[in-house]
Amino acid sequence: MNAARWRVLSSHLDHALDLAPADREGWVAALEAQQPTVYRDLRALLAEHDEISDDPFLREAVQSRPDVSAAGHRVGAYTLVSPIGHGGMGTVWLATRSDGRFDGHVAIKLLHLGLLGRAGEARFAREGQILARLRHPKIASLLDAGVTTMGQPYLVLEHVDGAHIDEYCTHRGLDIRERVRLFLDVLGAVAHAHANLIVHRDLKPSNVLVTAAGRVKLLDFGIATLLDGDGGAASTTVQGGPAFTPSYAAPEQLTGAGVTTATDVYSLGMLLYVLLGGSVPSRGRTPAEWLASAAETELPRLSTVAPNGPLLRGDLDNIVAKALKKAPGERYASVSAMADDLGRYLRHEPVAARRDTLAYRTGKFLRRRRTAVGVAAAVTLVMASMAGFYTARLGTERDRARQEAVKSARVTELMISLLTGADPYPSRNGEPTVRALLDAGAARLANDLHDQPAVRAELMTAMGRVYQRLGAYDKAAPLLEQAVAQGRVSGADTATFAQALNDFGVLRRERADVKGATPLLEEALSMRRRLFGREQKDIAVTLVELGRAYEDAGVPDRAETLFREALSMRERIFGDAHMETATSKSALALLLWRRGDLAGATPLFRQSLDTSRAVLGDNHPNVATSWNNLGLILLDKGDAAGAEPMFRESLAIKRRVLGVSHSTLAPSLNNLAGALREQGRYAEARSSVEEALRITREQLGPGHPSLATYEVTLARIELAGGDRARAEALLRTALLRQERTTPGDDWRLAATRSWLAEALLRRGEYREALPLLEAAGRVLKNVPGRQGREAAATRARLAWASELVHPTLLAHY
Amino acid sequence: MDTLFANLYGELHRTARRELFRRGGGLTLSATTLVHEAYLGMSALESAAFPDRARFMAYAARAMRGLVIDHVRRRSSQKRGGQFEMTALETTLAARLPDADALQDVSDALDELAEFEPALAEVVDLKFFCGFSFPEIAAMRGVTERTVQRQWEKARLFLHRTMSDEAKPS
Repeated sequence: MNAARWRVLSSHLDHALDLAPADREGWVAALEAQQPTVYRDLRALLAEHDEISDDPFLREAVQSRPDVSAAGHRVGAYTLVSPIGHGGMGTVWLATRSDGRFDGHVAIKLLHLGLLGRAGEARFAREGQILARLRHPKIASLLDAGVTTMGQPYLVLEHVDGAHIDEYCTHRGLDIRERVRLFLDVLGAVAHAHANLIVHRDLKPSNVLVTAAGRVKLLDFGIATLLDGDGGAASTTVQGGPAFTPSYAAPEQLTGAGVTTATDVYSLGMLLYVLLGGSVPSRGRTPAEWLASAAETELPRLSTVAPNGPLLRGDLDNIVAKALKKAPGERYASVSAMADDLGRYLRHEPVAARRDTLAYRTGKFLRRRRTAVGVAAAVTLVMASMAGFYTARLGTERDRARQEAVKSARVTELMISLLTGADPYPSRNGEPTVRALLDAGAARLANDLHDQPAVRAELMTAMGRVYQRLGAYDKAAPLLEQAVAQGRVSGADTATFAQALNDFGVLRRERADVKGATPLLEEALSMRRRLFGREQKDIAVTLVELGRAYEDAGVPDRAETLFREALSMRERIFGDAHMETATSKSALALLLWRRGDLAGATPLFRQSLDTSRAVLGDNHPNVATSWNNLGLILLDKGDAAGAEPMFRESLAIKRRVLGVSHSTLAPSLNNLAGALREQGRYAEARSSVEEALRITREQLGPGHPSLATYEVTLARIELAGGDRARAEALLRTALLRQERTTPGDDWRLAATRSWLAEALLRRGEYREALPLLEAAGRVLKNVPGRQGREAAATRARLAWASELVHPTLLAHY
Repeated sequence: MDTLFANLYGELHRTARRELFRRGGGLTLSATTLVHEAYLGMSALESAAFPDRARFMAYAARAMRGLVIDHVRRRSSQKRGGQFEMTALETTLAARLPDADALQDVSDALDELAEFEPALAEVVDLKFFCGFSFPEIAAMRGVTERTVQRQWEKARLFLHRTMSDEAKPS
């Protein structure tokens, strides 16, 4: 493969690999007629790509291979004796205590390097301590965990001498009832761990040992969770070797959805399947087949595949099938429930999947809430938003107490069943499990509560809102739309209806439908004023949202009035050092900044940042926004080098908290690109704004107006340091977008025209440039700030264009 | 940049020797840690030459590749030279050790790739030779994990193709 051919193929390859396998075929085939050579090469490369997809070639980093020369070395307080195993996670060593304080052996797991980043080390040690507190006679204890000075993470575990449970059963020739009894010991140990909020995530025969005396010992409890570093579950499985074992993994592990105690129930079902049936049910040969099969089909019933099938028909068949349900919510609610059923089987009592009572679930839920260590912050957000509107509703409709009681019971019941059904533990960044929880809730709402339209509308509003905050606009829109429709049907002013109007308006504005947003927000504002009087916190919320809509619509005066009213309302309600007040300051400051009032904007931005950091800590999206805004001010003052770290800080927070592809990353990436361009670092600037474009296209759709802003940024980079033809094409695209979405007299549209003229002038094309510059000149005003700078640049370009028109004339002067 | 590169290589080498000496010369050498350490050491001295961490990492990863291959070469020659009395278990594990010549082939193909797609080559240095994870690499360069994965797939494909081309008699 030579460089020239590769260069031709590279972008085709990108495109082809981006397509789903099903679409790829057609796309590649279409190339054959147009570019037969490219077609042949690409076809060969894609075939090779598929061929090596399961190949170990370069898969395992050089550095993660076991080093056999470690014997005799000290790890923490222990000395390594000899290696006893090697697996996906690392090498296991037999070790003794170096100080001779205790004679027995321990097992030390030296984990693969590269599993943990520097940031992961502290977390690893901390969570290791938590796991070390898990004590149960049937669980091999984690005695210690740490990271050596060389950055080698290790675990010190109780050393167990025993056989894998499936081998034990076979060698001892245990009958079915004996196997079930042994399995009940396993369940007891797992139940104990679950009560301590620790999930195993990788239960399989090699992790369940039985000693010569017949005693069960579970290995590696919580270690999969421990290793699930900052990169997220999916990446760990790709990176450090599977943190679970596909044959025993639950569907939600294969699809990357949230892991819960129900995940262990599934793996236990699989373990029982193997112990009773003798082999692992096959679900396909390739990972893709596994995934499809795990997500779509139930496993064949145990009695139909096991050699001793007839003996297993009936109760055991049902028990295994219930544990192996695809949907976590349909499995046994707990390991104890599964144990209870197996106990009934042994006592020849009727096996029944017990229907959980509300009280039982409430109790379990509250217990979990109280003790949960790592419950994701995002779940708290869901809870808070639900509890929040619930309280508001009680306040405004308290005269209808009896109806309320029924309603709130339904709401509570639904909330609890959602939260217990999708246990948030042990999510780290929150989003996947919150999504699972919401999706489950939305699915239920589609079929449930039709007899309680008001309750339904409330829940739809709450869920729509959380979806919206997570950036899932497509999921949010139908929920909010239905909630508004329900409000119109009932016709009365209610807090719920106003909330739905507000949220739906915000959603439309965020999707750049300003025309659709403004009337909804106006309606929400007047309804809230009617309901709550002159001053109230929700009124301030809608004031700000409506102000933003007017700002987007190009009516900044109206926006400023609304922002100022909201700010003074919040200062009176909440005081100065409160987040709501800070948000208001930030909105007003942004508007002032856009109008060129740096002096007015700077102190408001600074106050907003101080308050956000004091109240929310350094790791919150609002703090990220404040950093971003301060960066803008510096950039505007001409201090690009000073602005850069602020944009980077903002991005770092957003990536940590919201993930790497959230739509709010885009403005910061765009601003960072601007700061880099000012410093002449064009390549970095280009890749930053290209990421902004990609994220926006993916998250907000290919027609989103903010794409125009980013296209202009990219064009300016290309004009300054690269591909001028590309710059011109980008500016034309941006202009078309803005002509569709912004009013004709908007200065940003004028600025784009002026930049396009610049690109044209650079290749001497003044005929097209002149009318563009004249149109821009009519709109752009000589005000301070960006608009003024664009106006000055436009005048300079006009002079340049005139020079091109009349070169001889000028030569005379 | 050549002087800088040489300095960097030297610094990584010194850091590695110091760490290995401090540990008594055995336990697995962590490239990740090493690169971090070297960065801390050098950022104080040469901050002007490296405007940001991402660019530093790109250079360090390339330097690290050389270091890793040297390390493997030295280790396998020690084993062949009989300094080690190998047990049966060590033999099976030794079979898993990378072959220095194979690594050198990868390295040559990588240099070729780096001439026209440096970003792709860099991902291989960071991932395969240094053991950084996709999320780490993505964070380092301010791109998405998906972008890194795509680059990794392409690079792997290129290397596989190039190396199998060369293996065939032409």
